Amino acid sequence: MIIVKDLVKEFPKKDGTFFRAVDNVSFEAGDGEIVCLLGANGAGKTTTMRILSTVFKPNSGTALIQGHDIVHASQQVRENLGFLSGDTGLYSRLRSREFITYFGRLYGLDDRTINQRIEKMAELLDMKDFLDKKIEFLSSGMKQKVSIVRSIIHNPPVMIFDEPTSGLDILTARNIISFIRDCKVQGKCVLFSTHIMREAERLADRIVMIHKGKVMAEGPLEELRAATGCTDLDDVFVHYINQFDQETEVKNHEF
Amino acid sequence: MSFKKIMTIYRKELLEMMRDKRTLFTTILLPVILYPLIFIGFSSLMSRQTVKLEEKGATIAVADSLKNDVSGVIISELNKIQYFRYMAYSKASEQKYLDKDVSAIITLSDSTNANGTVFYKMTVKYDKSSDQGQMLIGKINKAVKNAEQQVVQKELVRRGIDPQIVDIVRMREIDTSTAQKKVGMILGMILPYLLIILLISGAAVVAADLVAGEKERHTLETLLVSSAHRNEIVIGKYLTIITIAMINVLVNLISLFFSAKYMASQGGLETAGVRMPLQGFVVLFLALIPLATLFAAVLLSISTFSRNMKEARSYEQPLLTISMLLAMISFFPAFELNNLMALIPIINISLLFKAVMIGEYHLSHLFITIGSTLVLDIIAIWVTIKLFNSESVLFRTDDDSSLKTVKSNKKTFFSPYYGMIYFVVALIVLFYLGGYMQAQDLGKGLVNTQLLIILLPVLLTLRILKQDTSQILRFKAPRLKELILIPFIAIPAALIVSLLSQLINQLFPFPKEYLEQLGKLFEMKIPAWQQFLIIAVAPGFCEEILFRGFLIRFFEKNGPVVAVVVSALLFATFHLDPFRFLPVLLLGLLLGYLTVRSGSILNSMLSHMINNGFALVITLLAGKGFMKIFFVNADTIRFWVILPAVAIFVCAILLFHKVTQKKELS
Repeated sequence: MIIVKDLVKEFPKKDGTFFRAVDNVSFEAGDGEIVCLLGANGAGKTTTMRILSTVFKPNSGTALIQGHDIVHASQQVRENLGFLSGDTGLYSRLRSREFITYFGRLYGLDDRTINQRIEKMAELLDMKDFLDKKIEFLSSGMKQKVSIVRSIIHNPPVMIFDEPTSGLDILTARNIISFIRDCKVQGKCVLFSTHIMREAERLADRIVMIHKGKVMAEGPLEELRAATGCTDLDDVFVHYINQFDQETEVKNHEF
Repeated sequence: MSFKKIMTIYRKELLEMMRDKRTLFTTILLPVILYPLIFIGFSSLMSRQTVKLEEKGATIAVADSLKNDVSGVIISELNKIQYFRYMAYSKASEQKYLDKDVSAIITLSDSTNANGTVFYKMTVKYDKSSDQGQMLIGKINKAVKNAEQQVVQKELVRRGIDPQIVDIVRMREIDTSTAQKKVGMILGMILPYLLIILLISGAAVVAADLVAGEKERHTLETLLVSSAHRNEIVIGKYLTIITIAMINVLVNLISLFFSAKYMASQGGLETAGVRMPLQGFVVLFLALIPLATLFAAVLLSISTFSRNMKEARSYEQPLLTISMLLAMISFFPAFELNNLMALIPIINISLLFKAVMIGEYHLSHLFITIGSTLVLDIIAIWVTIKLFNSESVLFRTDDDSSLKTVKSNKKTFFSPYYGMIYFVVALIVLFYLGGYMQAQDLGKGLVNTQLLIILLPVLLTLRILKQDTSQILRFKAPRLKELILIPFIAIPAALIVSLLSQLINQLFPFPKEYLEQLGKLFEMKIPAWQQFLIIAVAPGFCEEILFRGFLIRFFEKNGPVVAVVVSALLFATFHLDPFRFLPVLLLGLLLGYLTVRSGSILNSMLSHMINNGFALVITLLAGKGFMKIFFVNADTIRFWVILPAVAIFVCAILLFHKVTQKKELS
């Protein structure tokens, strides 16, 4: 379960002022639910996810992962969280098994549990052939599978995917998509970000649309369609963006 | 912090490093090949080339205008030199010399002095820059010396004088050093430099890879979202750097030890009772551990700060160069480890190695060296952990620091970056121009330094940037209450600082030359009021403008405490005097506090003037009348004075803090 409330994140700019990358963002994602953060590049999706995964600290606002506060109980948050992104790097000089074992140990698992889970996942994802190969010799699809196992080795109840298919070929991307679905089936709470409308349409139970750091719309796809009168998600998205920009312009005039 | 997680990170990093071919090559393979190659290969090549050069010999043209017994003896001695060929001098010889067909031209002639004694002259024309030239002059010198001896002996016998008269003063050397110590001396010169460079360069490769490399390969974020705490990550990586650096040093030492041992046995040194100082090698290895930890921490913080490996390597470069220069101290004669030197990193280890190698070192120096390095080490690792926990550093993005943006945006000018640039430039100008001016005339030089180097550039900079000078410099009248308290703060502070200097002098005695130099300041032959102007008023005004008025503003973004501390550190560094660093630093902290707290620079100006003027007053009055109660002489204050001084100082500061309570702090 993820609960995000009034999250704000600012970065200093060159001229001494601040750029607000995340502006009062609030949403929730329940267990067994897939929530998609949908937004254009630079909308604030990645920053939000980095805050949730405790890489960044928010300037204000709170977020709870399985009831643990991201600032005050960051250790527990990380223990309950699996994180995967499209450009996740791997240690190329390690073998796949060593790489996964390394992270398993960092999560405090014993070697027996780690090995059992690796064998199980390797069976599922068809990884047996390259488990003992060095990562530098693997194809991008194989690497992505290693990353998947790494993210789930501690069996976290919450999964966060930051643009998980960006830069991947279609076959590898399909692996990820089916993995996200599996997570839902297992009752995990899934948050994933994308700028690809089709992906959001296919996977999300609910969509949170982000623009310029702010949440501009939130709800199940059908609700959003009904509210805007558009059938295509592209049109729904553009509709909300236009509406948002108009509102912002009016506000600026008022000031 | 979980030890288990630290060890997991450590083991993984070590495994990865050991699988990296570059690391393996530089840490293990290179030293294993390098030393045998240098020691055995080079030396055998060198001796072979020397023999070759000798066998090549030389063709020499001889112009003998004497053709008598004496020239006969000389020529017969020259003829004894193996592989040398001679030809009679002719006009063509000069051309042959230019064409290098002839290696040297020898001319023999004579002259008679006023007493009628005949002297023989021999001129050798040769090229000293060539290997052959160096070889032939050595051999000719030897031959001529033999000839001279024969001629002198014959002449003495002819005149009926005992030939032994030429040997009337005989010198005999009794060398008490052992061959062992001589070997130690040579090793003690080369080894420290070599090992320190190896240590830091080995650590630098690994450090750059460990954080900046992870950023470049996009693996850092994966690690950060794992359940490892950031401090555990830092410590795990830190231990990896230390281990790799120490493995590098160990492999180098072993390879060096056996290569040197082989050389010694070949050169007959071992049969002469010389053993490689194995115990020394072990002490060296142990003494290197604290230095390795210090380098590891500093390099890790550089790696954390850098956005990629390339940037990390370029930031590491200045550190490598400085370390190299400091480590070179072992090459200089007459530098010995003392309590003060033992406090300076790298220099202390370098000198300690030298002392260990000749078997003359004090345990106290060893402890101070290790202790001071460890203190710095703790500070460095603390900074690294802070950096690693700072988002703005760990995820640093491209920032524009070009000078073009300064003028267009005055707000950003007062940032630490430009503050440091201004300070470094001022320091360089002070060192060269100030040093030159003071060498010409101490009094005038000091005043000019204050006015032209310290004060004027600040005022010009503020003018160019169109800043409100009096607002920036906090040039406003303090309240009467504050002014009354200043002497009660400044005089006890001056006493406390002087006593501290006295204490430092007792623990780490200042060099005599240094004290003489300092004494010159108070011995200028000018009236007392002028002295007061030069020593107290000018620095009190100008230095305060620079440090408490101007430079402090660059560091205020991080709060008043940081600004005061940094400006005090710069103030202490600016004095270019390691012996007074601590006292000046404390004074800087006090002056910074007075300015920031009261919002008026005049308070710190007055305090600075009183402090400097006080030293002058002591010099003039100490040891006279009632002053004897407080001072033994101008340099020595009685230690009991510390008690009332601290009491008055504390009360005055508390009162000052109270009366300035409602004033704004910025």
